[in-house]
Parts: sequence; structure tokens; C-alpha cells
Amino acid sequence: MYISNHIPIILIVLPIVLSTITVILRTMPSFQKGINLFASLILFALSIVLLFNVWNNGILVYEVGEWGKYGIILVADLLSSGLVVVSSLVSLMALIYSLDYMDSRALNTTYYALFNLLVAGLNGTFLTGDIFNMFVFFEILLLSSCGLVVASGKGGFTKIPDKMEAAFKYLMLNMLGSIVMLIAIAALYATVGTLNMADIAVKIETLNAAGTMPWHIYVIALLFIVVFGNKAAIFPLHYWLPDVHPSAPSPISAMLSGIMIKVGVYGILRVCYLIFHDAMFILQPIIIILALLTIIIGAISAIGQNDVKRLLAYSSISQIGYVILGVGMGTAYALAATFVYLVNHAVAKSMLFLTAGGIIHHARTRDMRKMGGMVKTAPLMSGIFLIGSMSIAGLPPMGGFIAKFVLFDAGLLGEYYIPIIIALLFAILTLFYMFRAWLLMFWGEKATDEYGDYHTHTVSTRMAIPMVILAGIVLILGIYPEPLMALSTSIANELLDPQPYITAVLERSVR
Amino acid sequence: MNNTLLSITIALLFGIGTFLILRKDLIKVVIGLSILSHAVNLLIVSTGLFNGEKVPIITGEHIEPSSGTIFTDDLANSILAPIVPESAEMIYVDPLVQALVLTAIVISLATTAFILILIYRIYEEYGTTDISKLRRLWG
Repeated sequence: MYISNHIPIILIVLPIVLSTITVILRTMPSFQKGINLFASLILFALSIVLLFNVWNNGILVYEVGEWGKYGIILVADLLSSGLVVVSSLVSLMALIYSLDYMDSRALNTTYYALFNLLVAGLNGTFLTGDIFNMFVFFEILLLSSCGLVVASGKGGFTKIPDKMEAAFKYLMLNMLGSIVMLIAIAALYATVGTLNMADIAVKIETLNAAGTMPWHIYVIALLFIVVFGNKAAIFPLHYWLPDVHPSAPSPISAMLSGIMIKVGVYGILRVCYLIFHDAMFILQPIIIILALLTIIIGAISAIGQNDVKRLLAYSSISQIGYVILGVGMGTAYALAATFVYLVNHAVAKSMLFLTAGGIIHHARTRDMRKMGGMVKTAPLMSGIFLIGSMSIAGLPPMGGFIAKFVLFDAGLLGEYYIPIIIALLFAILTLFYMFRAWLLMFWGEKATDEYGDYHTHTVSTRMAIPMVILAGIVLILGIYPEPLMALSTSIANELLDPQPYITAVLERSVR
Repeated sequence: MNNTLLSITIALLFGIGTFLILRKDLIKVVIGLSILSHAVNLLIVSTGLFNGEKVPIITGEHIEPSSGTIFTDDLANSILAPIVPESAEMIYVDPLVQALVLTAIVISLATTAFILILIYRIYEEYGTTDISKLRRLWG
């Protein structure tokens, strides 16, 4: 067998092995750094190879042990491998950034181990084809991200009690979420007698065709929406996000806001469009209403924020609403728009969080009212933050414009006029709050001299490189979006017609 | 009869867990969480319960000739495995749910340990375990 067939398992096992190695190597910080950077680069390269492989040769199924559909299988289709590429990119950038950003006590003890577990959890969640295995990877994600939220960055701009409180909220809500997920999985297993997602899909389809689909399938689907909605911070369960994401150190905020909330979107896409394909007519209106409420709540709350990272967190809530809106509309074009929006938001928001970390270091405060006039002292960061703001607000040469354009276009073509009007209205608010933040921080006079005495902390090269690379990607996604559009269209077609996925999984024979 | 008792137990555990989660004391909240997770574990076990006593070891090839059980899909003929014929008696307890419960127990152990340490640190920082005093962040 070629090595390329083993990439899915390598993407999961390598970070797990690395996390144990780095715990052992605590006494050798520089070696730890080197091996982590190297492994992250390898993971990024492997994920790109995987995407090309899947693009050229179709869905790749990897059996962990030759148990066929009864065992755990990893399935790399275009959606999951595309998301793995995005998550590997963001985690590589966050890792480079955190070398200089994190406090050395946190960095040299358990930071790398937890970070690698986070990467393993992300890759595993995206690649697994087994619903219970997805739950296990969710828990890996939860525990490692909780550990990372309480890690402290240099300078200590976030107070320790705040971190504790935020981590407690996050852990409580997500433990309840995982209990709900277990209930849903147990109910599903009791109904269809299998845990393999493709197999469940076939069996529910058979039940539906025979007209004997039990009514509690709809309840199970709603339970899954609750679970993934909690991960993705959709409206009634959004309130943990603006506490947790700003309290985490900036590279971790970038990971959480860039990738972690997309895990929920991925779950909704995978579970609703593969398993509960026949229950979608009930779910779609619910998802659209929740998405609109999320957009409204996030945008209105973001306007009044004075803390830069809190503003970005509320903006994440609002933007995830747009992504979910595309999921709810459910036409092929809308699903393609969803993926375009998801990638653009992941890149732009993680870049903004990294930049916010640099800005906080530079100004030595998190309050935007105390900043001002930084365009002279930090020209690089002001430019990058402007690019990010324009992308999030959806202004032309940036990727965010393409994303918003295709999403609204898809909504109009699908005749969802009222949701699109509401979304468009609040897109204007997005423009307002992003530029209010930029003007407050970089324009105008230098607000006070309180922090003038300090030795102002310029951004080091290792902090600047990730920002510049991500800014470049945002620009490229805006100027040359055709490859991403082509990928998204294929992904949407795959989601709407899951037959290739099911065939690829079920044609395996048991040993 | 057996299953009715089990269902009532699960329902009671869910009730107690939910009640404890809504208390003000952090430790009671964590106890409520563990009771809830045990209720879920019981629920999972109950989904795989038959009146069986044999060890669940499958012998034989892809199609067990003696009982007629089919383990491999045949999409062309629209056979969705596993198919257990009507005549075969269900003498096995479903082994998969027990593996699932083991995993779930281990995971809830890890999260409970983490949250207990977190509560200890919160007690150090805030000097209280009253959940209504934790209000520095406003959602």
C-alpha cells in the first residue's frame, strides 16, 4: 500500500505521539520548539497532499483494523480534507506566533502537549466516519482547549480569575453538551443498531422509504442540533463564547475562533446532510431562524464593546450566524457559499485575533478607548488589521466580499428574501463595528501617556510572520477565488448527494 | 419488569442530576454532573440489553451457515448487514454498548478531575465556592 493511503491516520496519530513526547522533553525547550514546528509543517504538507489526493481520486476510506463498517473508519472526503487543510494552516500559524507570545513557564511545560492534542482532536473530528468516535474526539478537543484557555501569555493582560471563570463556564456547558450528545447517540444506536455514519444514513433512508421511520428520529436530529449549536455558539447557547475567546491567550483565541467553532458547523453539515437527510424539511426553518437571531445578537452586542478581543469574539458569533444561514438554506449554491464563508472567516478571524494580541502587547492595554494614533507607531499591524476588518465587513478586494456576495446571491436565487434582507441589514452593522474598532485603535491622537513610560513592545518577527502570511491569504482569496469556489461547489454536490460517500464506506468487506 | 425498573432508575438519576446542577454550590454542581453522566451510561447500557447469557464471540466466516447471520453488505442485492434471521434466538448481550460505556466512563473521569481542580483554583482566587459570586465576566 502506498503511503498516501495512510495519511488520514498519520494526521491523527502524529500529534498524539508528539504530545506525549513533548511532555517527556520538558527539560529541553528549544528541542521541543524545533520538533513541534517541524511536525506542524509536516502535518500541513500532508493535509494538502490529502486534499489533492481526494480531489483527484475520490473519497479515501481508511480502516483502523480491518473490521469493515463495524470498526472505526476514517473517511476523507472533500469537506473533511478541506477543513483539515484550513485547520492545519491556522494551527501552524498559531504555533509560530505562540513561540514569542506565550509566557515561558506555560510554554515549556504543557503548552505544546495540549496544543498537539487540540490538533489531533480537530483532525480526528473532521476525518472520522463513526459517530461515537466523533464524540471521543470532541472530548479530546474540549479538555485540551480548556487547558489552553487557562495558559497565560507574556505580560499577563488577562487576569487569572477571569481565565478560571471563563474556563469553568466553557467546561460546564460543553460537558452538558457532551451528555446530550451521548443521549442522542444512544437513541440513534437503539433505533438503527449501528454507529457508522454511512450505515446509519442507509438504514434511515430504508426506514423512510418503507414509511416506518419512527418519529423520535426528528428528536434525535434536534438533539444533535443542540450539541453542535453549543460548539458553534448559535443563538441560545452563544453566551459562553464572548467570555472564553477573549480570556484565552491570543494564539489560542485564533484557534478557538478560527477553527473550533467551525467544528460545530462541520457537525451540522455532516450529521444533517448525511444522516438526517430525510428530516431536513423540519430542521431547515429552525436552523435559519436560529442563524438570523445569532447574526442579530452578535452584531448588536459587538457595537458596544470596548475590549478589542471581546469585540472580535462577538463578531465571531455574528459571522457564524452567516455560515449557519447558508447551511439552513440548503441549496447546492448556498452550501458552496457556506464553505467559502467558513474558510474566509477562519483565515480572517484568526489573523485578527493574532493581530489583536500584538496590539495589546504594543499598547499594554485591552481597552480600545485608551489606544489611539497607533498607525504611526505600529504601521504593519494597522495595515493587517485593516485588511482583516475589510474582509470581515465584506469590502471588495478581500475574501470576505466574495463570501458575502455568494451567500446573498445563493439566498436570493433560493428565494429566501426575508432572511437575506435581515442578514444584509446586519452586514452593514458589521462594517460599522469593525471600522469603529480600527478608528479607535489606529486613527486620531494618542489617547494618554499612561503607558508611555513603558518600553513599548514591538512585534517580534516570529509574531509578524503568521499575521503577514494570513493577510496574504485573505487577499489571495479575494482576488483569485476560483479554486476555492470550485472546491466548494464539489463539496456542496457531495453533501447533497451522499451516495459516493456511502458506497465508499460500505463496499469494504469484513475480514 | 426488569426494563421498567431500569427506566425508572435512569429517569430518577436524570432528575437528581438536573436538580443538583441548578444548585449554587460549585461542588454540588459537579456532583450533579457526575450523576447525569452515570444516568447517560446506564441509558447506553440499557440500549443493548437482551435476555442473553452467552459471551458475545462470533465464530465462522462472513456468512455463518448454521444460523444464517450475514455480516457483510451486498449493496447490489440491497442487503444491509448485519442481518439476523427471525429464527435465530438473540442469546448475546450487545458487546458494543459496553465498550461505549467504558469509553464514556473514562472520559467523564477525566473531565471531572479537571473540573475539580478548576474549582479548587476558583476557590483560591475568589475565596468562595458560591457560583453566584463568579460574575466578573458578563456573557
